[in-house]
Amino acid sequence: MKLIEELMERQRKEPEIVLKERLDRLSKTIELKEPDRVPLILTGCPPAFALKHAGVSGYDFYYDYERGWKAIVKFVEDYPMDSIFFEVGLEGHVLALAFPEVPEFMIATAGHITGPMHDILRDKYTKFPGRELPLTIPTGQFLGGRFMEAEEYGKLIENPAEFIRETILPRAFESLKDVHQSRIALIKTGIELSKAINSMTSIASDLTKLGYPVAPLTDAYCPVDFIADFLRHVTNMLIDIYRIPDKVKAACEVLVELILNMAFQVKNAVHVFIPLHLNEMLPPKTYNELYWPYLKKVILSLKEKGLTIWVFFEGNHEPHLETLLELPKSWGIAWFEKTDVRKAKRVLEGHTCIMGGFPTNLLVSGTPEKIEEYVKNLIKDVAPGGGFIISTGVADIPWGTSEANLRALINAVLKYGQH
Amino acid sequence: MSVSEEFIKSILELDERKALEIARRRLEAGEDPLKILGDLTIAADKIGEKYEKGEFFIADLVMAGEIMKGISELVRPKLKELGKVREVVGKLVIGTVQGDIHDIGKNIAVTMAEAAGFEVIDLGVDVPPEKFVEAIKQYNPNIVGMSCLITVGLESMKKTVDAIKEAGLRDRVKIIIGGGRVDEYAKEYAGADAWTNSAAEGVRIMLKWIREKAR
Amino acid sequence: MSREPVDELIERQRKEPEAVYKERAEIFEDAVNLKTPARTPVALFTCGHFFSKWFKPSVIYFDYGKIKDASLKLIESFPVDFSVMAPAAEGFIFSVAFADAPEIAPTIRFLTGPMHDIVKDKYTRWPGRELPEHLPFQFIGGEYVEPEEYRQLIEGPIDFVNSVVLPRACENLSKPGSALYVKSIARFAFEGSKFTSSLVDINAALAKNYGLPPFPATFAYAPLDFIGDFLRHPTGVMLDIRRHPDLVKQAAEALVEPIVKVGLALKPLGAKYAFIPLHLNEMLPPKLYNEFYWPALKEVILELYKSDIKSFVFFEGDHMPHVDTILELPKGWGIAYFERPKDFIKVYEKLRGHSCVMGGIPVSLLHSGTPKKIDEYVKKLLKATAPNEGLILAPGVAEITPETPDANLKALINAALKYIGENR
Repeated sequence: MKLIEELMERQRKEPEIVLKERLDRLSKTIELKEPDRVPLILTGCPPAFALKHAGVSGYDFYYDYERGWKAIVKFVEDYPMDSIFFEVGLEGHVLALAFPEVPEFMIATAGHITGPMHDILRDKYTKFPGRELPLTIPTGQFLGGRFMEAEEYGKLIENPAEFIRETILPRAFESLKDVHQSRIALIKTGIELSKAINSMTSIASDLTKLGYPVAPLTDAYCPVDFIADFLRHVTNMLIDIYRIPDKVKAACEVLVELILNMAFQVKNAVHVFIPLHLNEMLPPKTYNELYWPYLKKVILSLKEKGLTIWVFFEGNHEPHLETLLELPKSWGIAWFEKTDVRKAKRVLEGHTCIMGGFPTNLLVSGTPEKIEEYVKNLIKDVAPGGGFIISTGVADIPWGTSEANLRALINAVLKYGQH
Repeated sequence: MSVSEEFIKSILELDERKALEIARRRLEAGEDPLKILGDLTIAADKIGEKYEKGEFFIADLVMAGEIMKGISELVRPKLKELGKVREVVGKLVIGTVQGDIHDIGKNIAVTMAEAAGFEVIDLGVDVPPEKFVEAIKQYNPNIVGMSCLITVGLESMKKTVDAIKEAGLRDRVKIIIGGGRVDEYAKEYAGADAWTNSAAEGVRIMLKWIREKAR
Repeated sequence: MSREPVDELIERQRKEPEAVYKERAEIFEDAVNLKTPARTPVALFTCGHFFSKWFKPSVIYFDYGKIKDASLKLIESFPVDFSVMAPAAEGFIFSVAFADAPEIAPTIRFLTGPMHDIVKDKYTRWPGRELPEHLPFQFIGGEYVEPEEYRQLIEGPIDFVNSVVLPRACENLSKPGSALYVKSIARFAFEGSKFTSSLVDINAALAKNYGLPPFPATFAYAPLDFIGDFLRHPTGVMLDIRRHPDLVKQAAEALVEPIVKVGLALKPLGAKYAFIPLHLNEMLPPKLYNEFYWPALKEVILELYKSDIKSFVFFEGDHMPHVDTILELPKGWGIAYFERPKDFIKVYEKLRGHSCVMGGIPVSLLHSGTPKKIDEYVKKLLKATAPNEGLILAPGVAEITPETPDANLKALINAALKYIGENR
């Protein structure tokens, strides 16, 4: 346990040096080189364990920005890692797509709806702790919904922004139903976004003091996921794909541009995050025909702008791994959830930076010894040659994680990760 | 009370309907429109007097200006018909000085001065010193009026007076400054001849200058 | 030059900001409570024009960070006791539009440069936009409502403002519900919130670095000015008073409630004074002032007073003719800030023991006088008003010029520090 303590002390005492090391480590890894050590990233959607550790509830996290988000600071202060990434709310990108000229939304929350925004806008997509969910539940939940009929693809294709703005929003947001209500709701949202930015600035300064690299982030989407999440709901989407593939394709085609506009709203963005949802649900044929071409377009355009691209491949992406080779070398970071990173490494070595590999549940059920052993083997198998970031397989550290296990994980990376 | 006195009284009482009504009657009775306009000069002077005494306020000036404008409009066609022109009591070049784009005060001054019989050359707002100088050369006015609302105007007024001096035109004109932010200190600083916070008082000062010159 | 009291204060506020803070808070409290403070407080207000001493107007009005720099620089160089620096234009109509939502209204009370860019209002013009880069912003107002529409205003002022006035007065709000409208209104609020939090930040820095207590302000408006500034243009109102007196009266009355709502919105956050800048006051003859202007304004002041909010009224121009009406307010109702009454001392005497009186220093004296002249002027003024109870010295107008020589401003502060004992 000596290594983790050393790092904790160093990040407090010489944050500038640690920050430089971290940046260097990450950029080398993304460039598929061997850094001094395998980097570790353990944050995602607000890690439940981090909230528990800081003594804040899920409600606090989503509703009391400054206090809630400080939990993340506390977490990485006591459990040092190499970078941070966390979502401040639940997916609300439909708003950013409808109002591409309001960059503040993407700048403040990367397209996410925070607790107060949920109260103001009264969206039907999300459920929040302390509202529809019990106060103590650590994470809010995105449920999505069906707000568009299959017959309406034509309208969506014809003028997507207008259709979303005028037809979808009034259906999906209680407060955007009429002019009077929406006026108040939108102005309140504007104020809320400004508060979020203020808190973010304050958190960013805290993080910098601990030697964590902080850089503006934006979000992008895969067009099929966008339709599934915000317009048609996942199940209907899966049916549309079979019944009316041409319409889906045409819709994806027009959405690519809107999604890119949305992502580019954060003018100084360094990172872009793309969370995938439907990927593992699709057979390769459908994936290759309907899903991947548009996702690829999005990724290539983002790459062109020099953004560091983080794609979160939900579930098991093994059947589609090879498609990634169509992308240019070192295009970004492939963050895998359940995909076997050893397999991924075999396919993507020398081409794509891989992130993931540590099964989240082992943090709950394992022992420090088991964890150390696991990390040791993982690093031995996947780290050589570089381009590997250890992360938990899913973007969350569970509530029931034992402190000793988490420390063991970090310590093991520090111990065995040296190249 | 003569028609003329009653007419002036109705203007001073800001009785819009009555003033216009009398003007109409006088025109219909075939009275010389120049006489009616002459009454406006008297009225303008009296309005200035009332303002100086503290009996009139800007709101009264606005209303009085509106009434006198209405009367002038009523009289103008008749004047044209008779081939007559109103005798100009004096020539005024006026503008809101450089940097300031407010025009409420200046517009009241223009209305009042015109009603009083001045030929007014309105240079508009945000008028640079050189434009004042050019206008003096071109129109040869008796008086230059400079207006400002915001304090930016203080510097601009000084610059304008300096420019007029430099062009060797200072002796040819009287200079009056007006607006919400001017006072004795501002007048001294700018090098003007008079200052006023009100268009009516300004018109009265100008009429006095014209009379003094005539003597 | 020998070391003057003002130089000592400059040093002291930097070295012992906490002590100076306490001192300033005390003299201000004393003045407001009509007592004789340990020394007469000096106030300085700016809407940002003064900042062009250090920054180009086209920059300062659009960069809140620079506003902070300038504010700190101002107090660092000129250690006044009381200051409100809001480099933004009059935007009270936006607050009224959202008077029903108290959490919104105060956030959008000022119209900053970026906010102007967002809604494209026709009320104001800005450097680097409609004006050359070196000029301060200017409030032009305009006529957006016809006299025939007073009835609609009377029936529902908030709705009228939202559905009739703002769409006409702001290019980007012309179609309520449209994409452009939605986008503009959300961004407008965002920007407003950003500006207000920057003011909070600036106030904290001023308190911490230089011991300047923040002014716990909320905002209200004289109903008739609201009509003059945002709806009918001042000239329009002055004519309406004669032509449609009853409608004007009713309209002013209808606006009292939303204005008071805006005024009370900041109370939960600790606001104690409602700043009310008057415009039409001096332009109206007493008869019209008493009939159309004062009753609704008085109602606003009294309503706020009932809720423990004192008023801080800026009487534009020469308010001498109406000064007596102030005595109708309860003693200690607030602060009366006079721009340039014909006789400041007379006004002070009239209100002595009843209202806290602020003002007395002509801007043009600061601009074009000499330190010696200013020193003499202040000495004389303090002597004439001795023992200076309930008095705050301030340039007679909310805007001192950037060309004002440093030595003159310092001379003003210096004189207030110097002439204490001998006058009392």
